[in-house]
Amino acid sequence: MSSGHQHVSGIINSFNVNSHNTVNIITETDAEGRQILQWLSPLEPQQRHQDVRNDRLDGVGNWVLETTEFRKWSDSEDGCVEPVLFCHGNPGVGKTYLR
Amino acid sequence: MIDTLCDRSEGKDIAVVGLYCDFLAQQEQSTAGILGAILKQLASRDRIPEHIRGAFQRAKREFGGRGLRLPDLVEILKKTISSLQRVFICIDGLDESTPKHRRGLLESLREILHVSPSTRVFLTGRPHIDDEIVKCLSNAARIDVIPTQDDIKSYLVMRLDGDTEPSAVNDELRADIMRVILAEISEM
Repeated sequence: MSSGHQHVSGIINSFNVNSHNTVNIITETDAEGRQILQWLSPLEPQQRHQDVRNDRLDGVGNWVLETTEFRKWSDSEDGCVEPVLFCHGNPGVGKTYLR
Repeated sequence: MIDTLCDRSEGKDIAVVGLYCDFLAQQEQSTAGILGAILKQLASRDRIPEHIRGAFQRAKREFGGRGLRLPDLVEILKKTISSLQRVFICIDGLDESTPKHRRGLLESLREILHVSPSTRVFLTGRPHIDDEIVKCLSNAARIDVIPTQDDIKSYLVMRLDGDTEPSAVNDELRADIMRVILAEISEM
């Protein structure tokens, strides 16, 4: 991703990360579209997400992805299973940095 | 988590959206603030859905562009999510929002799940909010995140390698640090 992209003012991002590990920046080109997105929310959570991705240590916490709880939660497509997965732990255990 | 879900969703009509709660941003991250951020991510995936555009145009005519009220926001969100094949909503650090905002958020998520049962919600937080989650969303699976010895080892190596004063740590001290910390942790 070129650094210039990040500096285009008014650009609206979303969390679409492709297999090459680059974040696709979706730009809403029409002016009304930009106004609508700003009206929905001024927050830009993708900025924090990019920091987390950059600081994440590969492999740490990956065991969570192997648990039955995670697999059942992510793989089942119906409404029968538990649709909510809560990862709890004390501060600093790495909850934010789970891949 | 967002990256794992995004990678797995590649090529499918699956949306992955999320937010990191921040103790310092409690004011912006109200129930409506969090849901608004989620709706914005869903709306910006592709062309903005007509029902959102319509709501904006109506709001613009009234009082010079009023913001969405929480009940309206939840309705729009429900409609948007039910038009998608599947949505993953990830909210990190739920304990960093205020109890009132958290309650509102969990109740809204419950409503969304009721309408779109294929939706999946991923939450992280400290253990003390467990009761609130179970009370509001009775059907929640839970994982206790405890770093493994390998996780801690990798983390220690990273921190030692990144030491800004590498001359202060010789090999012997480095080995001691690794040994003592890992031993202490295994006794916890």
